[in-house]
Order: sequence, then C-alpha cells, then structure tokens
Amino acid sequence: MDLELARQVLDHLRVGLILLDWEGRVISWNDWMHRHSSLELPAVKGQRLTEIFPEIQDDRLGWGIEEALRYRLSSVLAPALNPTPLPLYRKPIDRARNERMQQLIYVTPIHHSNCACLIQIYDLTAPRRRERRLRAQSSRLMRVSYQDPLTGVGNRRRFDQDLSQLFRQAKEGGRPLALLMIDVDHFKSYNDYFGHPAGDSCLIQVAHALQEDLRREGDRLARYGGEEFAVLLPDTDPKDACAIAERLRLAVARLALPHPPAPTGWVTVSIGVAAMIPDPNTLDYLLVAQADLALYSAKEAGRNRCFRYDPGSSRAAPCPAG
Amino acid sequence: MGELSELQRDALGELFNLGVGRAARSLSQMVQDEILLSAPAIDLVRANEVIKTLLGTEFKELSLVTMDFEGPFASKAILLFPERNALLIVSNLLAPDLTPEEVSEFEQEAMCEIGNVILNACMSALADEFGVEFRGGLPEHYFSDSQALQLFVSDDQRMVLLLRIHLSMDQQRIHGQLILLLSIDSFQALCTQLDAYLARLSVG
Repeated sequence: MDLELARQVLDHLRVGLILLDWEGRVISWNDWMHRHSSLELPAVKGQRLTEIFPEIQDDRLGWGIEEALRYRLSSVLAPALNPTPLPLYRKPIDRARNERMQQLIYVTPIHHSNCACLIQIYDLTAPRRRERRLRAQSSRLMRVSYQDPLTGVGNRRRFDQDLSQLFRQAKEGGRPLALLMIDVDHFKSYNDYFGHPAGDSCLIQVAHALQEDLRREGDRLARYGGEEFAVLLPDTDPKDACAIAERLRLAVARLALPHPPAPTGWVTVSIGVAAMIPDPNTLDYLLVAQADLALYSAKEAGRNRCFRYDPGSSRAAPCPAG
Repeated sequence: MGELSELQRDALGELFNLGVGRAARSLSQMVQDEILLSAPAIDLVRANEVIKTLLGTEFKELSLVTMDFEGPFASKAILLFPERNALLIVSNLLAPDLTPEEVSEFEQEAMCEIGNVILNACMSALADEFGVEFRGGLPEHYFSDSQALQLFVSDDQRMVLLLRIHLSMDQQRIHGQLILLLSIDSFQALCTQLDAYLARLSVG
C-alpha cells in the first residue's frame, strides 16, 4: 500500500490514532483526532501528549504511555474505570456543554526506529448509554421477577433464594435461623362468602400488616403460595421467633376484618414456627418441613394460634406465652 | 530440572510482592479507595495439573484475564479470580448496584484493565530488577469455564508458576491466583535471570 493510500485510510477510520516517538512526542494523529479534539496535527506535532493534555500527567493514561515507552508493555483503559481520560467531544455542541466522549483506549508499544507507541481511542459513548439503559431495565425486571404481583411482598422465587442463602449463612456462621409459616384461617370460605376480589384485598391487607410489623432489616416476608406467607428470621432463636410469631398473629387480628363464616367471626392466621442452628449436613427444606408440621398442628388445635416445632420430641407444641 | 531452589523461590516471591505492591498503589489511585494486594505463596506445577490442583470446584465461577509477554523468557500470564466474591469486589469498584453476573457481562474491558494493571506491575517489577525488557500484548478476558479450559491442553508439559494473590478493600478480602505459563526453555531462562539477580545481590 503506498503512503498516500495509507494516509487516506487512516484518516477515514472511525477510531482515534496517535503515534508517539521514543520520547513520547506526537509523530502523527489521524483526522478522527483532529475532529474530536479540535487540534490539527501541525499544532501538536513534536509535542508530548502530556504537554498537549496536561491532565493525563498523573493519570492512568499517562502511566500507560510510560509503561509502553519504558517497559514495552501494553495497556487498556476501560470506560468503566476511566470514563473520559482525554478532552474529546463527539460534536461541537458537546464541547459547549462540556460533555466528553466516553473512551476505550488501547496503548501498545511499536517496534520501529522512529515510532515507539500507538494509542487507539474508541468512542464508546453510545454503547455505554445503551448499556446503562439495559442495566436499568434488567434491574427493574429483576425486581419485578422477585415480587408477588398481588401483595407486593416477595414471591416464591424470592423465598426459595432467600432460604438457601440465609440457610448457608447460618451454617457458616453457626447462627440460628427461624422460619414462620403463616396461613390465613378459613380463607376458602372467605372467598366463597365475599368473592375473589374481596379475597385479594384481604390478602393484601394481611401482607401489609405482616410487613409493617417486621421491623428488623434482615427479616424477609414472602408469599409462599395461595393464602400462605413465609417469614425468614436470621439470627433468631426459637424463643424470639415465637414472640415475633405471636406479635404477627395479633397484628392480623387487629386489622379486624370481618369473616362471618369463621368461628371467631374475624380474619385470623395460624403460624408454625421452626428454628435451628443448621449443621453442615442439614438441608434447608428440613426447616420448611418442621415449620409446616408446626403450622399443621396449630390448625389441628383450632387455628388462630402459634405452634413451634420441638426438635427434642420431633413434634409441635404451642408457643410458650410471653 | 523443573525445580526452584529455596533461594530462587524466595527471590521470586519478593519480586512479585514488589509488583503487586505497585499494582495496589495504581489501583487505589484509580478507584480512590485503599486497595491492598499481597502475594504470600508461590508454587511450581505442571500445566496439566493446574486444573486439578487449583481450579477444582470453584472453576464454575471464575473470571480471568490473560496477557502474553515476550522477552528473555516468554510467558502467558493469567490472573484468575475463582470466586463470586471477586466479581462482587469488582462490582464494588465499578458500580455498586450491579450484580456479579451483570458485571461480568457488561464490564469485560474493566476486568481486563484491572488484570492489566496487576500483571503489568508484576512484569515491570521483574524487568526493573532483572534489568531486562519484556514486550507485553493486550489483555484478554474470559469468564466461562469452557473458554478458559482451552488455555490448558491436557498433555501440557509447560511449567506453571502459581502465585496466590490476596486483594482486600472495604474490609473484604478475596483470593485470586496469578499464573505464569512457561515453556521448559522459558522456565530455564527465568531461572538463569533469577540466578544472575541473586548473584548481583550477594555481590552488592
């Protein structure tokens, strides 16, 4: 390729090219550099890049050039860590607004008698903007995919993930983890009596009452399914778990939602409590099975009460009052 | 053949600690937060043992950056963070609201740059102390096990210097590995450099 053709090709590239000599002085830069820096080659030729752009002196780009000249090592400068190392602008209006181009820069040593270093600059402004938009979207989707659409609390997916994470942490830290399984009493007859829209509204109010009453940061409420909710309580022993369960039961009772077909006449909940310090071989659903057993026993015993699983007897017993 | 003397091992350890010390200063300045790096242990194994000895079960979640260096000896340098925590720290550096998965998808260039800073610092420390020159290529980032596996062929007879790397920031501490893949010839050239370096030290 003759020199004139090479020059034309380099000037048409949509990437910035800077060539430095062994002293770090500009030998050449292409038309892209001229367009985006507003500096023509004759004005910068023979000057060090640090003289043209003093701000890079003690910066990552300055070191990268130093490493290429002195050690013959290459560097990449990513926009996430160094968004705008050089004062380059996509359009004149961006310069007026002081909105710099986001840059991805490669610094590589060149083995030539006159030329020691090539710097390539890519304009990543548009891809970075797209990434930001995608990220915002993916965070929003992530949030939605873990949320129960009716009540706004965590959904089953959230619960499964929280359970496995908190269980692992409890194992590693030798700390207790408690689980409450909460079931709305006689919910089918509530639905039959008032209709499904009222049933939905009942679940929303119960979920809010439960959420309101959980004040500790790490406590996690999720809708387990149908009219069942689950609460994971990290660092909580059986005694405290029972106290919290009882508080939640009363919080729902205080809503005073009429429920004519129910024996009490009001919407109430039954709660099964289980807590353990898991040993290395225990699987997390053992905790769910224990809380389920306790919930079943609470319902058997007449509902609107809290039972807890007792590992000594492998049975459930009423939560101690208090 | 294929051995490092106690003296050579200690010297290499010191040289790499010099390198990661430089890298820590650069990284701290870049992210304006204190980052500490140390390389407390060094091992020598065959390349085909790397996957067995090093990667094991953690191999599924790793992020690695490779760079090729040429000079008195040629080497592929690999910086590998086998744990999810590693990505977590990187996401701390970059954008706290990102999950590690998003970081590895979106921030390959940034991962490259962090590896680049650490590996260049180590190689420039070696270059300074040995009084030699290396030519370093651009970094590449891999984050899936199948891609990474191709870096090691099964009957690979190359030597591997394994350096454990500890990186701490914000009271978190993560462990990575710096891997230097060397042909037998390159390994011997490295030993020659080390001996010359040690000889200079004892004379001085």
